[in-house]
Amino acid sequence: MKKFLLILLVLSVGFQGALLAQTRTVTGTVTGGDDGLGIPRVNVTVKGTTRGVPTDLNGKYSIEVASNETLVFSFVGYTSQEILVGTQTTIDVVLQPDFAELGEVIVIGYGQVEAKDATGAVASVKAKDFNGGVITSPEQLIQGKTAGVQITSASGEPGAGVNIRIRGTSSVRNGNNPLFVVDGIPLSGGDVSPGGLDLGSGTSSARNPLNFINPDDIASMDILKDASATAIYGSRGANGVVIITTKSGKGTEGRVDYSGSMSVSQATNTYELLGREEFLGNLERFGSDPTALDFGASTNWQDLVLRTAIAHKHDLAYSNSYDNGSYRASISYNNQEGIVETSTFERISGRLNINHSFLNDKLQLNGQLTVSRINDQAAPLSETAGFRGDVLGMAYSANPTLPGFADSQIAGIPNPLAMLKYINDNTETDRSLINLSADYDFTDNLNFRVNVGFDNSSSSRGQAYSGALNAGQGGVFGNGRAGYVELENSSRLLEAFFNYEEEIGQGVFSAVAGYSYQEFNSSGSTVIGWGFGTENGNQMINDLRNSTNLIRGNIPGQYQQFGFDNGQFFINQLFPNPGRIDLAERPTTSVTSVAENTFDNTDELQSFFGRVNYTLKDKYLFTATLRADGSTRFGGNNKYGYFPSAAFAWRLSDEDFIPESFSNLKLRLGYGVTGNQEIPHNLHQERQRFSDITINDGGEVVPGTIENVAFDNDDLKWEQTTQWNAGLDFGFLEGRLSGTIDLYRKNTTDLLIQVESAQPAPQPFTWFNIDAEVINQGVELSLNYLLVDGDDFTWDINTNIAYNDNEIQNYDGEDINTGQIRGQGLTGAFAQRISNGQPLYAYYLREFVGYDQSGNSLYGRGDDQNFLDGKSPLPIYNFGLSTNLTYKNFDLAIFLNGQFGHYLYNNSANAFFTAGSYKNGRNVTRETIFTGEGALNNPDVSTRFLEKGDFLRLQSLTFGYNVDIVSDSFLNSLRIYVNAQNLFVITDYTGLDPEANTNAGIDGVPSLGVDFTSFPRPRTFTIGLNASF
Amino acid sequence: MKRISLIGCLLATISFVACTDLEVEEVDSIVVEDAAGEFAGVDPATTLESAYGDLRDIGDQNRVFTIAEVPSDEMLVPTRGTDWGDNGVFRTLHSHTWDATHEQVRDTWNRLNQNVFKLNQLLDSRSGASAQQLAEGRFLRAWNMFLVLDFWGKTPFRNVDDGPDVNPEVLESSEAFDFILQDLTDALPDLPTTAPGGNNLTASKAAGNYLMAKLLLNKHIYKGGAPDAADMNAVIAAVDAIAADGYALEAGYFDIFKPDADTETILYTDASIGNRIYNGLHYNQQPSDNPGGGWNGFSATAELYNLFEGPSGDANNTPGSGQEERRGFVPTDGLGYGMLVGQQYDAGGSGAALNDRSGNPLFFTRDLPGLVGNDENTGIRIIKYHPNDGSFRSHLILFRYADAHLMKAEAIMRGGTAATTALAMVNELRVIRGATPFGTITEQNLLDERGRELYQELWRRNDQIRFGTFDDTWAFKESTETFRSKFPIPAQAIGSNPNLIQNEGY
Repeated sequence: MKKFLLILLVLSVGFQGALLAQTRTVTGTVTGGDDGLGIPRVNVTVKGTTRGVPTDLNGKYSIEVASNETLVFSFVGYTSQEILVGTQTTIDVVLQPDFAELGEVIVIGYGQVEAKDATGAVASVKAKDFNGGVITSPEQLIQGKTAGVQITSASGEPGAGVNIRIRGTSSVRNGNNPLFVVDGIPLSGGDVSPGGLDLGSGTSSARNPLNFINPDDIASMDILKDASATAIYGSRGANGVVIITTKSGKGTEGRVDYSGSMSVSQATNTYELLGREEFLGNLERFGSDPTALDFGASTNWQDLVLRTAIAHKHDLAYSNSYDNGSYRASISYNNQEGIVETSTFERISGRLNINHSFLNDKLQLNGQLTVSRINDQAAPLSETAGFRGDVLGMAYSANPTLPGFADSQIAGIPNPLAMLKYINDNTETDRSLINLSADYDFTDNLNFRVNVGFDNSSSSRGQAYSGALNAGQGGVFGNGRAGYVELENSSRLLEAFFNYEEEIGQGVFSAVAGYSYQEFNSSGSTVIGWGFGTENGNQMINDLRNSTNLIRGNIPGQYQQFGFDNGQFFINQLFPNPGRIDLAERPTTSVTSVAENTFDNTDELQSFFGRVNYTLKDKYLFTATLRADGSTRFGGNNKYGYFPSAAFAWRLSDEDFIPESFSNLKLRLGYGVTGNQEIPHNLHQERQRFSDITINDGGEVVPGTIENVAFDNDDLKWEQTTQWNAGLDFGFLEGRLSGTIDLYRKNTTDLLIQVESAQPAPQPFTWFNIDAEVINQGVELSLNYLLVDGDDFTWDINTNIAYNDNEIQNYDGEDINTGQIRGQGLTGAFAQRISNGQPLYAYYLREFVGYDQSGNSLYGRGDDQNFLDGKSPLPIYNFGLSTNLTYKNFDLAIFLNGQFGHYLYNNSANAFFTAGSYKNGRNVTRETIFTGEGALNNPDVSTRFLEKGDFLRLQSLTFGYNVDIVSDSFLNSLRIYVNAQNLFVITDYTGLDPEANTNAGIDGVPSLGVDFTSFPRPRTFTIGLNASF
Repeated sequence: MKRISLIGCLLATISFVACTDLEVEEVDSIVVEDAAGEFAGVDPATTLESAYGDLRDIGDQNRVFTIAEVPSDEMLVPTRGTDWGDNGVFRTLHSHTWDATHEQVRDTWNRLNQNVFKLNQLLDSRSGASAQQLAEGRFLRAWNMFLVLDFWGKTPFRNVDDGPDVNPEVLESSEAFDFILQDLTDALPDLPTTAPGGNNLTASKAAGNYLMAKLLLNKHIYKGGAPDAADMNAVIAAVDAIAADGYALEAGYFDIFKPDADTETILYTDASIGNRIYNGLHYNQQPSDNPGGGWNGFSATAELYNLFEGPSGDANNTPGSGQEERRGFVPTDGLGYGMLVGQQYDAGGSGAALNDRSGNPLFFTRDLPGLVGNDENTGIRIIKYHPNDGSFRSHLILFRYADAHLMKAEAIMRGGTAATTALAMVNELRVIRGATPFGTITEQNLLDERGRELYQELWRRNDQIRFGTFDDTWAFKESTETFRSKFPIPAQAIGSNPNLIQNEGY
């Protein structure tokens, strides 16, 4: 090999020597028309040849050239220029920014393309266009920026989960989020931190697994929307793919960047509840006794539970590049309080990105390392709280005459402050992501790349209900109940692929062929304890950990679970023989009853993939891809799935018959098949393990029993989505007005869903591929217009709007209920139904028309639930609008987004704001007691609580100033800014915020658009600065 | 775990050869199929234990308890303003207006049949269960299938080798009865003989005989026709066999429900009794080990209360007001027993009269305005398991000798032959319970006696069907539809198994 390289080297030197005879040296500087600074690494090539040089870090170049030759100056993001050399020896060039960003590089699966060469529906959002203000996770950076990408955070809680839907919802189960690929590593779709245990007042969701990425480290996010783009990711591509590329040190010269910000948040909206006098004054009307219900004080519980929250964030990065490489190292600290007391999100993260080339750039090594630590402190919030509610539900419903301090607890009457004081919920999550890759150019045409990735996370969530909490659940009072969950995830990736490119005929042929193997392991344990000697929450969790360790120390060998209480000490083991073993050697523990359950499972994914591109005459672009994915999640008959795609693009603007007024016109057509494999571990083999172990309200351990956990199902296979896409990219006015329009139709078949088993069966539910189609079809339009482009003043407007229509077709199975409505007297109540001919999650409710004379609900179509003409929680229109103005050193950016055409179910109102609730001594909103509703009315689920969800939100407004830097200053640049998030929302929704989505799934079928005491979304003001040295 | 060498994989990668066969070794579950995917047997001991664990579900207020009790004339769950509406699930049960989508009916169907599948796994020869394990397994399968038969009139059946693509076969009523009877007959010889106070947590000959008596007493319901003398004699023989093992009536009605040993408990489950107590008690009735109090739901009907001897009226169940023992009493110094009616007092014993959440006196009324329109006070609440002995103790009685005793009396009444008479047997019980002996025995007073003795013990619906009163009307139950003696096959079950045909009338 070395010898071969040497020969190549000699040959090329000789060849260059021959050329030297006829040429002379031309030098010059290439500067940008936008800032007048030198642009490094501009390609300076001689037209019609392969000769060329890059500019240096200051934009200077030097090239040997003949006088009859033409130099081409090209650089991504700028319009190329061609200059005939003639007699000139110095050629300075000013490159103008390309407004339409046709030269923009878009990252696609296993490669990248310039936007002009893209054949699929892909969108790229660069760091400069990211949303500002308090941003916890990467998804929030691009919320509303791209047509057809709907991003909704579940609530205003710091670090809360985020729902992303690219081109609608296509699965009838969890697993509708897109695949995230960070610097080439596809992340596993599962949770990284544990969800909350139910220790008495319901469960809560896990945090967003992407929180570990510091948004400040991200250089760009590329969204692959259509199947021709995502099919290269095969079984994980059906919901779209989001590729995150982190910042590297390329193009910098020993630069330190610091950015810091400080934010203040407050609730935008609170409920207008009854005050003391009004509360007492109206009770008699509802047959209640104001004297008995007067506890003497006047308390505004909402005020006591909410707070003004402070957040601050610091990012420090050093980046540098040198001849053969570059690096960037960053550290970040982020501390964000939630507006509900005690809720806090803290992240410490570090990131290192190194590139180095060897052998004359033939071999490139890249390494990326991210480590992060997240500390979440959660308020006692729950998605499944019953009638007593979580801390917010209690704050809305607590009697306003109760004294407003934690220790004024009265048995049976909730006190939100006692919950805050006596419930602890802390999660610590460590995660590291390591990616190492080597890239080798065998020849100019052939390149080989190997990627190795490791993603490890370890999370522990401890929750304690102190015995001082006078709660009616779980035997908490006087005993205390606590638990902790440990969750370890690791994934290993090995990937290798070849890239080949060659000119064939009048076109260019390129191909990618590769192999990928990824292994996902998830393991952990859940420990619960009852009966504590302390009322201090942190001490309780420590005691529980210590007791657990003592107990584990007395257990010989492996076990699935153990139970330890006053009467018993045993393990349930699976291997070598399943069964219960009672243990004699009891340790002395500080906790009375302890029980642990463990799990450990591994999934594998093995894939082969390929892509070919052919570009004919620089006008006709063809792409075809194929991926074969093999997964352990599927049965013997269908381990492998095959996912093909094809796309064609035609650069019409390069045709003579298209008028010159089009600066760009490109037609794209694409078709592809993708899959979805987001189902639990091994559902195809008949297996057994012990069911959950619990501790009853009296402190007695209730052992798990051996249960069947899966059916023997060799036919289980991928859910499959077929997608057509037709798109048109256009630009006028030299690219100042540009845009994209896309039409698509997605058809998802072989829906993976758990349905009720045909009994007798091993389990209540069995996963099947059901015979039905989920159709999503729609139109996406985005427009960018540079209105003013003066020296001192620029103004641009970018807007996008997407329409999506969703329907289930050809489904003849039983309807599936979801959208569980929670609260007093609402056990078993549901609001949504999945049925043929309806959109997913279509509302299915009684039609409320008013009250009869005694104040009982009247229903239009009888006391039966019905569909409501396709009303659903799926937005039909998604809208985003951003505008940027700059005047001299000032800049202003405004961003609005909205969703329209959908409905929300106000579960908070259903559970708390009813006449009956007031009659029972709970607080309600003022309007509740004047509606004509009677005290004994039963507020069943009905359209009474269904509301339009339309809204338009001023998501963010940033005003910044770039300080003039004197040339010899140690500073390179300095920018200060103020930002406001969520300044206003225009909506008719009567809940606190129209963007709410409480997890209200039933039997594993998720819901959408149910709002049950969602953490209110704050209004936030930020002041910050960015400086580079 | 199988570790795949990274280097091996890398080499494989470069040559584009698969480096895994995609077979993952399970470390936290046992695969119960062999390499060919066929059932390979389960561990009999843990599976049997698990099947006993399934009985705990009867301790829950949902499923079996709800669909056995709420449709009968002894219990209802009135909707109280915002509370207990629960999408109409309890109202339709009591008023006999349920349909095939009823959630509780569906959940019970799924649970019981799932238990049957587990027992099929245990009873398969490849699991290698011992003779006693087989007997216990057959007993439990008979019990689960009996409940399915009693609720729905037919039972589906799936062999252990059948995958999800196989539709379970369906045993129609008569066939199902024969299958259950065969299981029980096969089980009895190998069940252990357990004396009262012994291990009544698992099946004994007495439990097998109790179920045999229950099955045969109801035989004509499942097979048609009239009660047969031979079957009635078999009922009598089964009850005599239970008595021969030492089981007998015991005085002190409410003591029987304490966790201590007694001569009446034939089989119990270690389910927490908390739901039995708290599904009825008011929120403000808070025993010391449960400061959250009750949930204010399940109530006795006025019809049940009226069965007992004693002065009527809401305020007349105080200690010593002349009522019979089984009606219980409401003291001022704590929580009462039996029928809680009238003003309620602090469970802690302070003597304080309780208020409801609206601040009005907590006064349980016998009569209710309807299934809706109730406030917190309407309806009598029931306490058989008293929180004084622990609110969450795990000791819920499933089979009780007094039931067997009354079954024998009924078998005699229905043509069986015994050394005693039905009247003598019923009066024997009534004397022990402090009630006035009957002069004659009739269908009606035997049914009433069963109501007084066995209220809240899951048999009222079954008894009413056998005595032919389930299609009568009572408060808030207008329907006289006879087909309602069988529940509808759940819509989901019909959708998932084409072999199932919906019961007549639905």
